[in-house]
Parts: sequence; structure tokens; C-alpha cells
Amino acid sequence: MKKVLLSLAFLSTMAMLQLNAGEQFAMSDADRAMYKEMLENNPADIYVEEGGELFEKLGDEAALAKFLGVSEKELPKYIAGFPRYIKKLGNVVGIDQVLQAMQVEQGKEKTKLKSGKMFSMLAYVKSLANDELIAIDVEADEHIKAAYALGEKTYMTPRGGRGLSCNSCHSKDIVGQVLRTQPLPDLGEVAVGGTWPAYRMTKSSLRTPQRRFQGCMKNALLKVIPIGSKEMVALEVYVTKLAKDKNKKISIPGLKR
Amino acid sequence: MRTKIKCLALTTLFLSTSASLCAADLTKAYDMPNATEMIKKDLFPAATKYTMPKSCNLNDAKAIARGKYMFHNLNGKKAKKPAPEGLVKFVEKKGKDGKVKKKPKQFGNCVACHNIEGAKGAGNIGPSLIDYKALFIDTKARDAQFVYQKIADPRVDNANTHMTVNLTTKLFNEQEICDYTAYVVSVKNKK
Ligand code: HEC
Ligand code: HEC
Repeated sequence: MKKVLLSLAFLSTMAMLQLNAGEQFAMSDADRAMYKEMLENNPADIYVEEGGELFEKLGDEAALAKFLGVSEKELPKYIAGFPRYIKKLGNVVGIDQVLQAMQVEQGKEKTKLKSGKMFSMLAYVKSLANDELIAIDVEADEHIKAAYALGEKTYMTPRGGRGLSCNSCHSKDIVGQVLRTQPLPDLGEVAVGGTWPAYRMTKSSLRTPQRRFQGCMKNALLKVIPIGSKEMVALEVYVTKLAKDKNKKISIPGLKR
Repeated sequence: MRTKIKCLALTTLFLSTSASLCAADLTKAYDMPNATEMIKKDLFPAATKYTMPKSCNLNDAKAIARGKYMFHNLNGKKAKKPAPEGLVKFVEKKGKDGKVKKKPKQFGNCVACHNIEGAKGAGNIGPSLIDYKALFIDTKARDAQFVYQKIADPRVDNANTHMTVNLTTKLFNEQEICDYTAYVVSVKNKK
């Protein structure tokens, strides 16, 4: 609890700093130093803990390993390879969808993909793979190949009121330039696939990668597509591959501006 | 397939007593909502050429004021100052349930990418538009038609542009593109 309070204290200081920060950048050097310190006391740790408790109701890691058809020892590496094609689910899916299937198999109520509880559980399960290299294999089978292709297409397609695509703002030739005080991140370099679910300071809550994608869609006026849709999972596949290509590791929960 | 057959045999034998004996079909056990149609509806036509309408009065102070307002603001909810004459902050839209709802009107937020006189927190993805008239119009490097086309649909002269498309997507109408154009090519105070 002390840890949490400390984090909250940091947060309010952050908020104050944000107000005084220069106009060019959304994050000043002082903010950045604070951010480093916060990494040690990530406010999202409580969500991950909550996720662990919720996950316990479904069984333990052994139950998950069994469901996925891998040994407990292999489980962390296997988790580091999501999203992946799961034969008995018939699709390329995220960990959250695996958890739903486990719930249904056990006769329990499905937790909604977009609910805070699911975000927490997802964060907990993904954190089991912490320190593993991101291990997505987009050549593993025809299904993941197709998902990767769909992800690339979804990423590249301009749409919405302003005619923008993800690539409009995240392509290699534009990274680091400033969009209204925010430097545009290289989605591979910041390891989206390895650092989300993350605590989003500007939203004071835990967000999953797909929830983060929705944020960009909303801001840029692209029609927001639902979490868990084929295209969303495919986007996660595409973006996770970007981080894999940079040999990034899993480190959950992340901490973001 | 084998499990299914075994399953079937077992269920007939025990008159479907125990589901746990056979592997349940989990292919529908999780949510996978459909987004394909949503994305399809969100697409818009290919690069389109436009001619600046004759009705475009680039010297109209009111048009310049509207262009300025839309240039510096993201939408009617975020915009703090009252909207200039001929512009509203909220528009009424029919929702899915048929009810009319007030929604913030979207503006250009051009300042997210372009610096210009008096800009606050300008981005640098697009070129600076400071002193645009003196540097580009008076020197004949550009004309108003070029600016109009660029704002309406920048893909015409740059297929891989990072700039927003503003007329072909129907987010704005011709008059509004005129307003932006008038503002960009106008003489402005330095601050
Ligand atoms: C109009 C510009 C724009 C568009 C279009 C856009 N983004 Fe972003 N995106 C940004 C900016 C700016 C940031 C950094 C925001 C910040 O610093 O908080 C960002 C951040 C992100 C992040 C978080 C990176 C991190 O720190 O871990 C992800 C993930 C992301 N974008 C994915 C997407 C996806 C997927 C799409 C397309 C559906 C998309 N973006 C479209 C501007 C955009
Ligand atoms: C997401 C970034 C972005 C936004 C938003 C944006 N622009 Fe641009 N703009 C650019 C880029 C990049 C260029 C460079 C040329 C190109 O790629 O077409 C450009 C070029 C221009 C030019 C041509 C300058 C010249 O003489 O070459 C004008 C005029 C212009 N923009 C006006 C606007 C206006 C008005 C708006 C708002 C309605 C706007 N821009 C919104 C990125 C943007």
C-alpha cells in the first residue's frame, strides 16, 4: 500500500509539472526523470495483482499451460509469442480471448474483453513472460501469416474524416517529428508488443495494446473498431512484430505518458 | 474430427449425459466482434483534383477569421474562444437510435503539424507556414489554387503525404477549404 501511495504522490507531482512544462514538448526533462523513478513504483502493479487474483479463479499457471497444450516450463516463452493461432479456438487470438475460452469451458461467465477486469487479468498473464524476448512468429502457420498481412493492411489503410492511417503518423520517415507537442514514437523501438498493458499516466489507468490503438483511432478520427476483432488482433500482430524485429523483451506493466 | 466422432458416439451411448467427456467446441467461446464493415464504411475516394471555386473570396476578413479558428483548434469541444461569425462549435447529428445529438464540430488542427504566426505548441511534421504570402505567393512559387488543392486533397501532388485529406473525406465543405486557404495566404501579425 505504501508503494501505491508513493506512486500516487509522484503522479500528482507529474501532473503539476505537466502544467509548467514548455509548450514544444508534452514531457519536459524533469518529467522524464520523474518517469524513471516511477518505473520502480508503477501504479499499475496493483492492477496486475488484482489480475492475478482474478486469474486464480480460473486455476493456476498449470491450468493455463494445460489449456494451451504446453508444459508449465514452456509457458512464459509461449505467452511471449502471442497473438497466435490456437487450433481449438480456430483463430489467431489474444491472451484475453484465451482467458474467455477457459472461462466458458469451466462454465463460468465470460469477462468482457473491454472490461477493466479483463485488462488486469491480461496484464497479469502477460507478465508471466516478463524478461522473455518477444517471440511472435508470423511465419508459424498460414493463419498467423494471414493475420500479419491483415494487420499490415489495417495499419496502412487511410480512413476516417481526416484520411489518416496508422502509418501516416508512425512510418519510419516521420518518427521523432513533433505532432502538437508529442514526438511521434517508433512503435518497434518503444516495444508496444512488450510494454502494454501499461499504466497510462494521462488516463490514470491500465490500458491494453488494443485499447491504446483505439485511443489513436479516436484522436485521429478513424472509426474506432472493437477490441478482439480480427483486424484489432491483426494490428497487434503487426505491431508486435515491429518490436520483435528490434529484439525487445516483455516487461509488463509498462508505464506511459 | 476424430474427437467429434468419438464425442458423438459417446453422447448417443450415454444420451448426452456428460459434456466433460468430450472436448467442447471452443471456437465460439470467446468474443471476436466484426470490424470489417466498419472499416469499409470508413474508407473514402482516391486522390481528387479540385478547382478553387469562384465564390472563394480570399480577402474576406470573416473567411480569414474562420480559417484561423479552424487552423488552431481540434474541435468545438476543445476550442475555448467563441466561434467567429459563420462557424459553429457544435453540430446536430442523428445517432444510431434516431435521436438527434449535439456533437462537437471537427476543425483542422493544422497547428498539430504546421507552425504559423501565433501558433501555440505547433508541430513540425508539415512545413512552417510563417510568412507564407511573402515567401511563396508574392514570389509566385505557389498560388491560391495550389494551397486550396493541398488542403482539399494533398495526395494529388504527393501520393505518400503525411498530411490530412480535408475535402475528399467530406469532413469539410468547399467554403471551409476556402476559409483555410484565405487564412494561409493572408498577411498576419508576427505574434
Ligand atoms: C494523427 C497521428 C496519429 C495517428 C493517425 C496514429 N497515431 Fe499512434 N500515436 C500518435 C502520437 C502523437 C503518439 C504518442 C502519444 C503520446 O506521447 O502519448 C502515438 C502513440 C501510439 C502508441 C503508444 C506507443 C507507446 O508509447 O508505447 C501506439 C501503440 C500507437 N500510437 C498505435 C497506433 C495505431 C495502431 C494507429 C492506427 C490505428 C495509430 N497509432 C494512429 C499519433 C498517431
Ligand atoms: C498530420 C500532419 C498535417 C496536418 C494535420 C496538416 N498538414 Fe499541411 N502539410 C503536412 C505535410 C507533411 C506537408 C508537406 C507537403 C505534403 O506532404 O503534401 C503539408 C503541406 C501543407 C501546405 C503546402 C505548403 C507548401 O507551400 O508547400 C499547406 C498550405 C498546408 N499543408 C496547409 C494545411 C492546413 C490548412 C491544414 C489543416 C486543415 C493542414 N495543413 C494540416 C502535414 C500536415
